[in-house]
Amino acid sequence: MNNALEVSHLSKDYGAFKLEDVSFTVPGGTIMGLIGENGAGKSTTIKCILNLVRRDGGEITVFGRDNRKEERAVKGDIGVVLDEVLFHDVLRPQQVGKVLAGLYPRWDGKLFDHYLEKFGLTGKKTVKEFSRGMKMKLAIAAAFAARPRLLILDEATSGLDPVVRDEILDEFLEFIQDEDHAILISSHITSDLEKAADYITYLHNGRVAVSGAKDELLDTYGKLVCGRSELEQIDRALLAGSRVGQFGCEALVKDRHAFARRYPALTVDPATLEDIMVFTGKGDAQ
Amino acid sequence: MKGLLYKDIVVLKKQISTLLIFVVVYGGFCMAGVFDFSIIGVLVSVFGLTIPMSSVALDDAAHWDRYAAATPAGRKGIVAGKYLFTLLVILVSGLAGTAIMLGMSATGLIDNPPQELVVVILSCAAVTLLLDAVILPFLLKYGAEKVRIVSMITFVLIFGSIVLLGGLANNGVNMPQLPGWLAAALPAVFALVSVGGFALSFAVSLGIYDRKEF
Repeated sequence: MNNALEVSHLSKDYGAFKLEDVSFTVPGGTIMGLIGENGAGKSTTIKCILNLVRRDGGEITVFGRDNRKEERAVKGDIGVVLDEVLFHDVLRPQQVGKVLAGLYPRWDGKLFDHYLEKFGLTGKKTVKEFSRGMKMKLAIAAAFAARPRLLILDEATSGLDPVVRDEILDEFLEFIQDEDHAILISSHITSDLEKAADYITYLHNGRVAVSGAKDELLDTYGKLVCGRSELEQIDRALLAGSRVGQFGCEALVKDRHAFARRYPALTVDPATLEDIMVFTGKGDAQ
Repeated sequence: MKGLLYKDIVVLKKQISTLLIFVVVYGGFCMAGVFDFSIIGVLVSVFGLTIPMSSVALDDAAHWDRYAAATPAGRKGIVAGKYLFTLLVILVSGLAGTAIMLGMSATGLIDNPPQELVVVILSCAAVTLLLDAVILPFLLKYGAEKVRIVSMITFVLIFGSIVLLGGLANNGVNMPQLPGWLAAALPAVFALVSVGGFALSFAVSLGIYDRKEF
């Protein structure tokens, strides 16, 4: 299995914010979910991959090609959905298709029409008259019609209702059935990534806090709910973060199987991606 | 590139239609003898300056360049597309202006010989090319809103200088005489300066866009 995307020791310094030593790999035939709080560096990472901002250090390769040295060829392999839809208000979907047909070497007009029909965007409406959900669907249709091998989506499913999100996640899953295809998707909606992603990279303050196979992460991390006195007796090295409330305590356990062997009397439930994100991000918050 | 040109044309369809109405109205005024035929040449400059500027303004408003830079067109394609579109606007409006003036000449509405009419259009096109060469790098660096004032100053300076020199000459002010060979070569020199300036401007804009972050 070849790697679709390799990000290695990526850094970008904005002064007030730094992306430092970010590394992850997206193998072919998989979906990588990029999660993190606002300002954690998800969009900056995506911008560096798309060469929209100049990286200060590190390497990025897409299907083995450097994203700067072979920019045109690399971008021909990438379908993009950014966090906002940037098509001109006066354009109709068919006109958007004609514009993009002149930009993407493998543009598939029939596929674009297929998605427009599937997403209900075939009318005479212009982009201005579209809801946010419709605009996102248009951007996703365009990304697919570029016949990419790598899809990069920055918060593409935010603003969509659960039914449409589910529909689009199904499209993503179908897309990666081809081992030569892969998806990098950043999202705040961790439940979507739990459903679709194979790998997760969690960015926190510009650094990779957690990265790995989703199933492994969900199997390893656990959520402990206990009393304050019980929490005080636990070896803190086993916890990634904890929260002490009025009626009890919650903690994120780094390795729930090892934890269960050491503290058999305490119950540790499987953690969600949101738990991993919230506890790791907050650390020991009261 | 084709996609970027198509986008500019479709997005500006409304403005281009409005400007075409201007052509019809001013053409009518010329036929009626209200305005001199050279107003058609000025319209070529107005088209060549305002349409590319509006195109950048609309791209700014949609943040289109952020998306376009992520496509295979990339930064270089965006700049090349804008310069090509500008050339296309000047070419099409120049050809249309020439056709209108030659039509007026053929029907006897104006007495000037066809060569003179063509020279008027070519001069206006060359001035417009030079103005665009100055304005486009600023437009691509700072955006249309901030550059409106720069473009107006440039327009006033260049056209103002031409009008002033013409006025001085017509009022009998002794202007320094150019050597005969230079006077003869002036149209070619001016054309070269315009084309060279436009090419230099393109290189400057590529440099600006290369450093731009989206």
